Amino acid sequence: MAFTITCPICGPRSGYEFRYGGEDKGPRPDPAQMTPEAWCDYVHMTDSRPGVQKEWWYHRAGCGTWFTIYRDTTTNLEVAPDSPETVA
Amino acid sequence: MIRLNHLPTLRIKPGAPRSFRYGRRRLQGVDGDTVATALFANGVRVFGRSLKYHRPRGLYSLDGESSNTLVNVDGVPNVCAETTLLAEGMRVSSQNAFPGPDFDLLGFMDALSWAMPAGFYYRVLHKPARLWPLAVPFIRKMAGVGTLSADFQAPGRRDEIYPAADVCVIGAGVAGMSAALAAAEAGLRVVLFESRPWPGGAFEYRPGTARDGVAYYRKTAELAAAVQASPHIRLFLNAPVIGVYSDGLVTAFQRGRPPHPFDERYIEVRAASVVAATGCSERPLLFDHNERPGVMQAGCAHRLARTWGILPGRTAVFSVGHDLGLEAAVDLFDLGVEIAAVAELRQDGLDRALVDALAQRRIPLLRGWSVTKAHGRHRVTRVTLAGPNGRFRKTIDCDLLVASAGFTPVTGPLTLAGARLAFDAHTGFFLPASLPPRVHAAGRLTGRQDWHAVAVSGRLAGLSAVHDSGIDRTAAIGESIDELASLPGPARGTQFVLAPGSGKKAFICFDEDATVKNVDQAMDKGFDVPELIKRFASVGTGPGQGGIPGHNLPLYVHQSGASPDGHPRPTTVRVPLTPTFLATYAGTRLDMSKRTPLHALQVADGGRMERLGVWHRARRFSEDERSREEILAVRTAVGMLDASTLGKFRIFGPDAVKVLDRVYVGDMTRVPRTRAKYSAMCNEDGCLADDGVIVCTGDNDYYFTTSTGRAGMTVEWIRYHTRFDDWDFGIVNLTDAYGVINLAGPEARTVLQRVTDADVSNEAFPYMGYREFAVDEIPVRAMRLGFVGELSFELHVPASWMVHVWNRLMAAGGDLGIRPFGLEAQNTLRLEKCHVIIGSESEQRTTLHDVGLGFLWHRDKPWAKTVGDTALRQTEHQPGRLKLVGFRMADPTAPLPGDGSVIVDRRIRGYVCTARYSFTLKEPVGLALVDDALSAEGSSLAIHEDGCGGRLARAVVTETPFYDPEGLRLRM
Ligand SMILES: [Zn+2]
Repeated sequence: MAFTITCPICGPRSGYEFRYGGEDKGPRPDPAQMTPEAWCDYVHMTDSRPGVQKEWWYHRAGCGTWFTIYRDTTTNLEVAPDSPETVA
Repeated sequence: MIRLNHLPTLRIKPGAPRSFRYGRRRLQGVDGDTVATALFANGVRVFGRSLKYHRPRGLYSLDGESSNTLVNVDGVPNVCAETTLLAEGMRVSSQNAFPGPDFDLLGFMDALSWAMPAGFYYRVLHKPARLWPLAVPFIRKMAGVGTLSADFQAPGRRDEIYPAADVCVIGAGVAGMSAALAAAEAGLRVVLFESRPWPGGAFEYRPGTARDGVAYYRKTAELAAAVQASPHIRLFLNAPVIGVYSDGLVTAFQRGRPPHPFDERYIEVRAASVVAATGCSERPLLFDHNERPGVMQAGCAHRLARTWGILPGRTAVFSVGHDLGLEAAVDLFDLGVEIAAVAELRQDGLDRALVDALAQRRIPLLRGWSVTKAHGRHRVTRVTLAGPNGRFRKTIDCDLLVASAGFTPVTGPLTLAGARLAFDAHTGFFLPASLPPRVHAAGRLTGRQDWHAVAVSGRLAGLSAVHDSGIDRTAAIGESIDELASLPGPARGTQFVLAPGSGKKAFICFDEDATVKNVDQAMDKGFDVPELIKRFASVGTGPGQGGIPGHNLPLYVHQSGASPDGHPRPTTVRVPLTPTFLATYAGTRLDMSKRTPLHALQVADGGRMERLGVWHRARRFSEDERSREEILAVRTAVGMLDASTLGKFRIFGPDAVKVLDRVYVGDMTRVPRTRAKYSAMCNEDGCLADDGVIVCTGDNDYYFTTSTGRAGMTVEWIRYHTRFDDWDFGIVNLTDAYGVINLAGPEARTVLQRVTDADVSNEAFPYMGYREFAVDEIPVRAMRLGFVGELSFELHVPASWMVHVWNRLMAAGGDLGIRPFGLEAQNTLRLEKCHVIIGSESEQRTTLHDVGLGFLWHRDKPWAKTVGDTALRQTEHQPGRLKLVGFRMADPTAPLPGDGSVIVDRRIRGYVCTARYSFTLKEPVGLALVDDALSAEGSSLAIHEDGCGGRLARAVVTETPFYDPEGLRLRM
């Protein structure tokens, strides 16, 4: 279902304008000692826990920026980055 | 039928006739009629037959609360006659009645109702299991309503809009309009939804007077005029709300814009605040045969007369439980209906003035009485009334029975928005006990019935919505609260459901033919929660979406003592709140496609155009499916391909080269100004995502191509894989700004030299070179590539000059036999050369190594953290992968295997990617992805094709490429 997403460039916009980029898993780990299993986990596995998560969105029908928001997956409402709920 | 033509409340134009067909009859309605009112005006009383028992059903309400009046209109089944405006020339027919509603061969089903208790299908037919398949066709036939032919095309146009609003008000009655005006006064943008074709709700048709002495309909019309004059309010009429979601999202659809009854518009509004002012529907009184044609709700009878000028009957009996019923009796009497008696469920609390008005008209008022049975086979002819506790009975002849126990607040939108409901004993309503932030409720759904109280509660809700948006309205809100306190509060409501002394045939749900007895049976089975009884006994699961049983089911269950906690519990409301055509959700199928700058030329040259993704492309330029002439032209002379669909991008900035190093597998730090570099992109699994050519056009300025299908996602993909880096670069999609001509063949240079002054000799412009020069002053970016395996030039030309350059080349090569070639020729040519096409010779799991392009990977650039690097390392020597190989048929005269045929031994070992007949080699050749155990040269492949009947074709893995293995022709 559609919800509102706040783009850092364009402000709050309809969710239809964005593409989901998955949970934020941080920058890519150092590949040097990476086992295939660890790499596969980084690329493909997600926590999918209900509640507030940090996630990536792409403003495809807008400014073309990738950015993160905090969203409560149980309500589809954004949570302010400095709110206590954002601490994982 | 003669209409009452001079009422000030009419919504019809009596002088504007509309003719339509009903079955074989030609009938006439007037402008403003719904299908239902037009049929009723023409004397139709039985509209259809009920789902299970084929009982006759008639006009009972006017807002689509039940399936009684579902008809087929212009071939569309299950159209609600009550909410569909009549259009000239409509073809209307009845449903679920054989041969017709007045005489239905399945009418005997009614006599068998005893044999079908609640949960009949669940209980009887599922055990033993072998009976179920036998029962299914029967149930399908009996359960479905309406027929639809398989090739049916829904008439009408459907679009969708997504307006933004500060406040979304649901319901344009007195409360909703007051709320909208309060928000509009503050300059907020308001979207106002009304399900009826006009605003006004419960007051717009009533001649009674408000406490200031002005008639309701006048006051309401003034409000409506103010709403329609407000530039801040966007009023959608005939637009029922479908759903309400978190964060102020409201969905609705607008049905039928005259004269197009099936044009529909899906509307999705994101509002900062939502006001629900949805009012009430009437709560039916249950008694024997309470759904006989001729029984109708008070509002239905009253509005038929006041809005459409149709007298609902000659002689009426009323059995009601609220003042609106008494008001309707008085008014209908004045309009010419004989009122034989008014039975009133309430003993006290009646409006004094209405009681006096009844007395003045000598209409007998029976307090504490109610109807217990309607008589008559197809329509009401007589009713039995009973006094309190079912004692004292009397029978009265009549053709209209107005029956209504009370009201049901329309709380669906509120509960979907997250409001919790609690039963309120005073009103007999489930009222919102708590509302989510930025959601407000107003008007009759809160139990208020007084015009002024309804208006002020609406204004209060509107002011609260304004306050939500950050504009301080504390003072005005305080005033409204005080004013509301001085006005009549919520009216006391009856909780009567079942008339005392009624029997088994009291229908609690019309749609599913569920009776009070069915509910009793469910409770006997141990069900005690209305939500579960609703499922088991099928109460409120039909097209009316619970409009009829809404409050009656929880009240009845509660009064039966079954509720576990002693409180009535509401059933769950779900979307869609109003039945909607699937076609409305599907919307208009917009087939968006792109044409290259050469499209018209390609068509003029005989190009057989095909859709490939978003593009129209020329597959071939002759009848020959194998494009022999085009292939030979490229191999022996010269041909031209429109390759404009290639993705084309500019990337620039101080960090541009870092970005290229990240996304391409090759080393991008040394792309010289005069060379084109071929490389590939891999995803994080090391799988092939794209390939293309990169050239350097200036300092920190690059131009690169992608495959056609990747163009749309390239910017997004590149930005995704650099999202943590904060690099300084810009990327521009030039796909539509440039066209591409691939000029290929041994004579390509001769042709090109004739149109440019630049030196394009092999020494000045060698293989894999990049040059910028002019053709007739048009700047051209030229790359010497060899996708089709011959000397060839890929010319990138500003899109608007493509036609000119193409025509110049055509003219220049005329004496050399130049001709256009299409995708089919290109496919065979590149196949002979074993050049891969992403998506043809690769799939999701295919790595760079698998297709033999591992040499493109520069493994020693850890600085770049190339996207596919880690996985390329890990899969480099992974066993058991599918590898790309070339093959020839063991018997060169064997037929060509189809693309996608599987390669088998005892199991599937791979598949044919592409196979074509090679005119150059005079035998079929192909590329296949096969298990690495079969990938060695000389391995035998057994190819299975659909319909081969077990006769496998034999192929042999051979050396690649098939054509010009030394690559001499590219370098000519
Ligand atoms: Zn943006």
